[in-house]
Amino acid sequence: MGTTDSSIVDSARARPGLLLVALLGGLLLVDLAAKLAGVSLGPVGGALSADRLGSNLWSGVVIGLVIGLAGIGLSMTYSILSFANFSHGDLLSTGAFTGWGVAFLIAGVGDVPLRALLTVRDAGSATSGDIGAHILSTPIAILLGLLAAFAATAVVALALDRAFYKPMRDRDGISILIASIGAALIVRYVIQFVYGSDRRGVTASVEASNLAFAPLGLSVNAHDLTIAVAAIGLMLAMHFMLQRTKLGTAMRAMADNKDLALVTGIPAERVVTATWIIGGGLAGASGYLYVLLRGTIQFDFGWLLLLLIFAAVILGGIGSVYGAIAGGLVIGIVFTTSTIWIPSDFNEAAAFAVMITMLLLRPEGLFGGVTTA
Amino acid sequence: MSVEESDSGDDTAASAEADVEAGTTHTLDGDAILRLRDLDAGYGDLQILSDVDLDVADGEYVTIVGPNGAGKSTVMKTVFGLTTYMDGIVEFEGESIHGLAPEQIIREGIGFVPQTDNVFPGLSVRENLEMGAYILDEVPEDRIEEIYDRFPILRERKAQKAGTLSGGQRQMVAMGRALMLDPDLLLLDEPSAGLAPDLVADMFDRIDRINDSGTAVLMVEQNAKEALRRCDRGYVLVNGENRYTDRGEVLLGDEDVRKDFLGG
Repeated sequence: MGTTDSSIVDSARARPGLLLVALLGGLLLVDLAAKLAGVSLGPVGGALSADRLGSNLWSGVVIGLVIGLAGIGLSMTYSILSFANFSHGDLLSTGAFTGWGVAFLIAGVGDVPLRALLTVRDAGSATSGDIGAHILSTPIAILLGLLAAFAATAVVALALDRAFYKPMRDRDGISILIASIGAALIVRYVIQFVYGSDRRGVTASVEASNLAFAPLGLSVNAHDLTIAVAAIGLMLAMHFMLQRTKLGTAMRAMADNKDLALVTGIPAERVVTATWIIGGGLAGASGYLYVLLRGTIQFDFGWLLLLLIFAAVILGGIGSVYGAIAGGLVIGIVFTTSTIWIPSDFNEAAAFAVMITMLLLRPEGLFGGVTTA
Repeated sequence: MSVEESDSGDDTAASAEADVEAGTTHTLDGDAILRLRDLDAGYGDLQILSDVDLDVADGEYVTIVGPNGAGKSTVMKTVFGLTTYMDGIVEFEGESIHGLAPEQIIREGIGFVPQTDNVFPGLSVRENLEMGAYILDEVPEDRIEEIYDRFPILRERKAQKAGTLSGGQRQMVAMGRALMLDPDLLLLDEPSAGLAPDLVADMFDRIDRINDSGTAVLMVEQNAKEALRRCDRGYVLVNGENRYTDRGEVLLGDEDVRKDFLGG
């Protein structure tokens, strides 16, 4: 979490709050060690198996990768268009429903009415389990669903930009932020209208859905592994695009200084269009992956997840793509490992507590001051 | 072409003797690549420039001086379409460039180096230069080499982030970026601003060399005396209007110009 960063160490003298946080963190680590060793010293210690810690960490990484992937688009629109996009969460929902519609279509074609498949519904006696969307039984469906999620959400994000944000391009960030809340409501309730408001399961249960890596003594859920591979792949593609392509360099240039980009001859609107396609597409892909992780889908899940995504982006340093990824991982790991000490109902609170602590100690975030680069 | 204002009657071609009087003919008789006529411009409802005339001939080195708030930078920004245009003519190489997007103006052959924040701090030196040639399909490697030859320190620092460079080196990156497309006219907004005094002369030498290689230069400078010594012609702007226009050394020799605008 960057606590070895020298600038943080330097600020310890000036700010005793840091000492307090370090103390608390140290205490938790000692307690963790005691728990793992099975030692119990008064309030410290208890019992915790290394397996449980390992699985907590792994599921934290998986959630963190999904949140980090979602945060990339939010950070990009923040740094290049200078506003906090509150419709970002509903872009996740957009990607999840359109993507799963395509996944269902491919997995269940022939047995179930098309309309039910495309709207991600159970039909009559055919449950989602019968449709059988699973990475092991219908890998093509799951992968094409991911592509569809990316493509459809990119289109929706671009349409929202043309309808609402482009006419407001010269307005201040607060006005556009408020417009984005309106756009979020429109998207959310269009989704509810088309897909319905009930929560339902989407993934099929497949026997032996864990992939065993015998030599390493690991057993990993196939969907978790799919999510991790897809998220890391998309992040690497994003990194390559930002650092190695002309378009990516222009995006970083615009994030650095929009006025200078203009007089340098960078076509701002083309870069903005690309930003929506990539940022929106990644949001859709992460929404699709989040549903793959949870196994259930509901029309407002993206909106409910938005706060956590903002927490990750702020933690990482808003405006930085790499910060969003790092912040997502921190939030995800805190989210799952906090259940070692506190009831799981409070794990979101733990994630926000870490974010607030970060803001107090290092207001610019982990990658603060670095925009997109 | 001439919207000639009444001349003071003195010989504008007078050599740089003391007490010569600066001319007030603001236009050139011959061909000019940049031609501003009766230009009115400002920001929103606020008018800064009124009836400004200005010419830059092919390969010429022209500088604009004047007190703070005279509208010097506004002239440059108006050429680039960054201000509110109100009235008048903005022509480059015989065609109106009013209303063109900055990327089109760059395509026409004008490069612009803004006064401050004129590099992308998070991009490497090389990436900054590449952005200067964004409108080309391919990165022009030979042109980047030419820029490195002109500013050898940039070759050494090519992988370094521009934000970590010194002020003088940043100014070189900014100029190099504006020169990437080999413009016919380079607009420089206070190139010596923020530079350590011992670097100012070096910067002016570099501008001389850019001009010697055939690029016309239009420059705004606070360091008016040095700028007038170096340039071919100078414009003195006051309150957004033309006041004097003459060869640099004539302006330097004019007592009124010296007293009122050059600090004695």
